[in-house]
Amino acid sequence: MHNTTLQRIFSMRNIAVVALVGYFAVFMAYPIIKAFAGSMHNWNPLTDTYQWVGFENYAQVLTDSLFWKSIWNTAVYSFFSVAFRVIVGLALALLLTSKLVKAKSALRGLFYMPTITPLVAVSFVWMWMYDPQFGMIDKVTGLDIGWLNDSHWAMPAVIIMTIWKDFGYATVLYMAGIMSLPTDVYEAASLDGAGKWQTFWKITLPLLRPTTLLIVITSLITYLQAYIQILVMTGGGPGTDTYTISYLIYDQAFTKYNFGVASAMSVILFVLTGVLTLLMFKASGDKLEESR
Amino acid sequence: MKLAKTCAAIAATVLIATAATGCGTAGASGVVDTNADKGLAVLGDHVTYDPNHLVNDGQPIEIGYWSWGDASTDPVIGMLHEYEKIHPNVTVKISQVAWSDYWVKTPLSLKGNKNAPVLFNVHNSQDALLRPHMEAYDIDTADLEADYTNVDLHVVDGKIMYIDSVINTGNIYYNKTLWAEAGLTEDDIPATWDEFVEVAKKLTKFDGNKMIQSGFNMNGDGRYDGLWQGLNYQRGALMFSKDGTVANYDCEATKENLEFLRDLYETDKVSSVKFGDNSEQSFGNGQSAMIYAWGALQGTLETKYPDIDYGVFPTPTFSDDVPFAYDRYNGESTPGINVHQSEEQRAVAQDFIRFLLAGDDYVRSAVKLQNSFPGKKSLQDDSEILSNPVMAAIKPRLDRLIWPGPVPSTLESSPKIAFQNVIQNGQDIDTAVATAQAQIETDMKGSDFVSLESKYAHIDEAQ
Repeated sequence: MHNTTLQRIFSMRNIAVVALVGYFAVFMAYPIIKAFAGSMHNWNPLTDTYQWVGFENYAQVLTDSLFWKSIWNTAVYSFFSVAFRVIVGLALALLLTSKLVKAKSALRGLFYMPTITPLVAVSFVWMWMYDPQFGMIDKVTGLDIGWLNDSHWAMPAVIIMTIWKDFGYATVLYMAGIMSLPTDVYEAASLDGAGKWQTFWKITLPLLRPTTLLIVITSLITYLQAYIQILVMTGGGPGTDTYTISYLIYDQAFTKYNFGVASAMSVILFVLTGVLTLLMFKASGDKLEESR
Repeated sequence: MKLAKTCAAIAATVLIATAATGCGTAGASGVVDTNADKGLAVLGDHVTYDPNHLVNDGQPIEIGYWSWGDASTDPVIGMLHEYEKIHPNVTVKISQVAWSDYWVKTPLSLKGNKNAPVLFNVHNSQDALLRPHMEAYDIDTADLEADYTNVDLHVVDGKIMYIDSVINTGNIYYNKTLWAEAGLTEDDIPATWDEFVEVAKKLTKFDGNKMIQSGFNMNGDGRYDGLWQGLNYQRGALMFSKDGTVANYDCEATKENLEFLRDLYETDKVSSVKFGDNSEQSFGNGQSAMIYAWGALQGTLETKYPDIDYGVFPTPTFSDDVPFAYDRYNGESTPGINVHQSEEQRAVAQDFIRFLLAGDDYVRSAVKLQNSFPGKKSLQDDSEILSNPVMAAIKPRLDRLIWPGPVPSTLESSPKIAFQNVIQNGQDIDTAVATAQAQIETDMKGSDFVSLESKYAHIDEAQ
């Protein structure tokens, strides 16, 4: 009887649940709560400074022009990176699932390779490729552009690198989505005389909406937190033209050790990401309802 | 059976977790030393060290040392090994932590962690983070002042936590091959900025409209963020207000200097924003003829670009007159002692610091590894040291170099952004400078930093 009770308590299910709850409590809930609390304090853990300041950090952040500029830069970066990741990923997935292309597996592997390459390494390689003195891009194209030092080109240059690195993820997901689409719908469309273009717009794209939603939301969450490529490639420059919100948070926390302000920014980013995700789910849910 | 497996799994998990957290004790693995008479001479003139004694009563003891460098860049490491030879009962555990992590890990570790280092590498720019965890040197200040320069700048509340082993400042590095190709000789080395611009023009090459060789490259980190301070000092402008608490970036001197630098890009066309963002690399590749850099460049050139034939000359000035100061300098700091460690370990650390500062080997090694000028007075006229062109450039200016104190990093990062806004983004100088000033003031809000400019010997000549 005693053994049975203990066995029930120490069942694999209970151990797994406790481990998961413990993991989320330590690595998710605690840091989030700590960041919320920290955002109300003048906080520098390196000097044991932790003084209550109320909403002062939020006031400082919301009246800081660099914060708003970083928000704008993040929006631009995220919008174009997500849009091109979806477009390029879908186009290549359609190509790879068509009868036009041979060696599908090899190409799929090739396209996915940048996705699994460390971002720091990719950022360094692209930084050298963009170098106007010895970089491949200016040499091959014959252009004379200081890509990462030019206020007009720095952000597009980082976006191009991001798209190159990440489109493979969308390609693989779209390929899985396309291959699981019901064939009878296409047969019915064919019998009704639908052309290829009509089939794509009226059947393929709507049926791939859940995949698109997944890609858009996961991409958005990733890009709103982008800072490594900025840190390596531009350092936020020229001037502050490529400051993203996450880079600004990094700068405040780990360069200026102003963890209170950085936490306030993190809380705002957290809320912003949550709202955007909810809006996407809402919009997508409405469309799915309409299509039924 | 299932219960036994579960318990075993939990026990194994606990064991692994315990091992992973590294909560073992730091044991001392050295030998017992019974020989107090080492047969070695007493070191030093004023700060002295007699090696003929036992440390920690000859009992084995371990001390940790943390550094962001290795034996090829940090002279303390070699000296620790020397110390271990003299006192074999002392074992030093050396740990290297990457620079980017060092300033987070070290202060957090120092706070009462028994596995924290007893000795650690110090950079004066992080003084505020480290000072609360440091023990004062147990060496008479007068003795230190007699042996080393600028010791008084490191006395806080009568205590010294570290001093400068060596000091450095900016100079102009030039490519001798490109110099000769342009028909220039040693006689053409410029003394003023006007002369410098003329030389830079001769060293600049174009292919059509495209610059293929820059006469003077200012792009990237470590250029304007360092040079603006020197240029302002040359004009007699201080970095901070008279009471030393408010930054003085938004001033006429800054604007005049930015205008001068912008002209190098737009009017004189000896620099180009399209010439990459790493002037050091460009110089190393032989694409830029001159750059402004501190002594560390010498080490970079030796390891990464050994084929470059280069020379060094002192940074020009705006006129032939002696300026208020030629540039700012900065020191490489001697190690800090962790105040939170055991009395025995701190006693060994104090003994090591005395050993370090009494002899010449440490400073000689620092001069070599860090390409910097000796802080030890007895070595400042050493012919071997002065045969290095960087030391030769610094020596005559020593009296006219100023240290503003452990300045917050925003005094470098914010002006760098202002420079990029002017040069690369075409922003007007007034706006760029005012924005940077506002950023510096925001970043320094709550800081208790006070500039040490008032202690400069020629402070009465400031504007």
